[in-house]
Amino acid sequence: MIKVTALAKSYGNRPILSDVRAEFSSGHLTSLIGPNGAGKSTLLMLIARLLAPTSGIITIDGTDIASLAVGDYAKRVATLRQRPDCNMRLSVEELVTFGRFPHSRGRLTAEDRGAVNEAIAFLSLEPLRNALIDEISGGQRQMAFLAMTIAQETQCLLLDEPLNNLDMKHAVQIMQALRTLCDELGRTVIAVIHDINFAANYSDHIVAMKDGAVHAAGSVSEVVTESGLGELYGLDLEIVERQQGCLCNYFTQKGKTR
Amino acid sequence: MLVALVGIAALSIFFVFVGSGLDFAYIIPRRLTKLAAMIVGGIAVGLSSIVFQTIAGNRILTPAVMGYEAVYLLLQALLVLILGTSSLMVLGDYGNFLASILMMVAYSLVIHHWLFKGPQLDAGQPLLVGLVLTMVIGTFTQFVQLRISPGEFAIFQGFSLISFDRVEPVQLLWSTGFVAVVCLAGSRSLAVLDLMALGRDQALSLGVDYQRHVRLLLGLIAVLVAVSTSLIGPTAFMGIFVANLAYACARSERHRVTLPLGCLIAIGMFLVAQLSVEHVFNYRTTVGILINLACGAWFLALTLRFRDIA
Repeated sequence: MIKVTALAKSYGNRPILSDVRAEFSSGHLTSLIGPNGAGKSTLLMLIARLLAPTSGIITIDGTDIASLAVGDYAKRVATLRQRPDCNMRLSVEELVTFGRFPHSRGRLTAEDRGAVNEAIAFLSLEPLRNALIDEISGGQRQMAFLAMTIAQETQCLLLDEPLNNLDMKHAVQIMQALRTLCDELGRTVIAVIHDINFAANYSDHIVAMKDGAVHAAGSVSEVVTESGLGELYGLDLEIVERQQGCLCNYFTQKGKTR
Repeated sequence: MLVALVGIAALSIFFVFVGSGLDFAYIIPRRLTKLAAMIVGGIAVGLSSIVFQTIAGNRILTPAVMGYEAVYLLLQALLVLILGTSSLMVLGDYGNFLASILMMVAYSLVIHHWLFKGPQLDAGQPLLVGLVLTMVIGTFTQFVQLRISPGEFAIFQGFSLISFDRVEPVQLLWSTGFVAVVCLAGSRSLAVLDLMALGRDQALSLGVDYQRHVRLLLGLIAVLVAVSTSLIGPTAFMGIFVANLAYACARSERHRVTLPLGCLIAIGMFLVAQLSVEHVFNYRTTVGILINLACGAWFLALTLRFRDIA
């Protein structure tokens, strides 16, 4: 379990996060939602240790993350940043193999190769195994990077907008893969997700952030309510419950319809 | 890679034996010394350029562009100014060499502080900083030059041109030793370099102690640049050419492929330039001019299509 206590981050005098408290339970998929500039990505980067907090404590299974060595932390938590910029000519397989670095430190064992093959098979990337990542589509590249993160075989995965710029099919594929990671492999996934419908239909928990603080947190049914989301985003919205799941309609606003 | 290796071997044999009259007493040992200087210098230029580009995440930055060599020249000019023509005697073969290494490491700290700490700069900014630094330090050097006598200037000029002629066996031995130590120290970072090419964040989340490695590698680069500049002189834009040609020729961008390839390309360039000077231009031009002409043109072309690669 990852627990965030009284976390604050500011750049100079400009606070980005203040007094954030949240818990991310193990084996569950938690979505971070909220308007732009709410501090979702900052919170995720602080948990990933890519940024240093101004104050506050983050613990993983009771251990302060700041006390762990970089190499050890990478065996417990894997992070995938938004738009991983990479202009290297690498094959998908080579990229996924990078995910084994925390374990192998560059010397691959049979176990490492097994993990790479599993990660590639898990996301059905077999046909692209030898394709170069600068020659495949954005969605496929995103899948390849996710496979690298999965091959890292960490208890916890942190994903910053994994659905960014993806078409519907790739987005659904990635969310289903994340669901399987939690349900069948017992991994903990924390993802910043902008599409409220994906967040509502695939998450176990939702942490909604606004203005650098936690606005609401809880199970999907607790957070995804018309009044709650309306307040969060400052929009009128309607939640339609269907057998297949719920649908938040925020596309048209009262009094401003065509 | 194999092709490059065979090509270099052929060029080397050509360089050492053609027109030597098989004089094993003087000509061939002298040429072998030059060849060794090219190999050690080539390795230093190839490694330092490619590793620097990986750390900087930018394909038109090299230590030379960032002002390392300008600092070296300033140091030499100052030494000549302060100690006069006797500076060669006072410092000896390796006093100067060690001073250069210390200076480079000190300059690395400055570069590290400005470029690799704090918020990530966009691709163009470091280039601008580097070129301005090179210019400013160059102006200081010119200022110092005005204060020295013609005899001292002649000594200084010896430092500021690429040449394999002034290589002394003792210095060569030292350089080889330093390059070997750097290779040994750096070989453990070979796998890490591939990850660092993914950028700071991805490298960190894959368990690479990024800051520590940047410091270590910048230190090693400083030693390499000190070795290459004091052994054969400033190489200016050559590093960019070598690195980018290596990326283009290698099918993979793993450092275990690009690094040796870059070294081979650098050695090959030195050989071709030296052979052209000897056999085509009949000593009417210098190695430095040839290399700077070719690599400067390449740098210009790269800068013009900067958007594509940055």
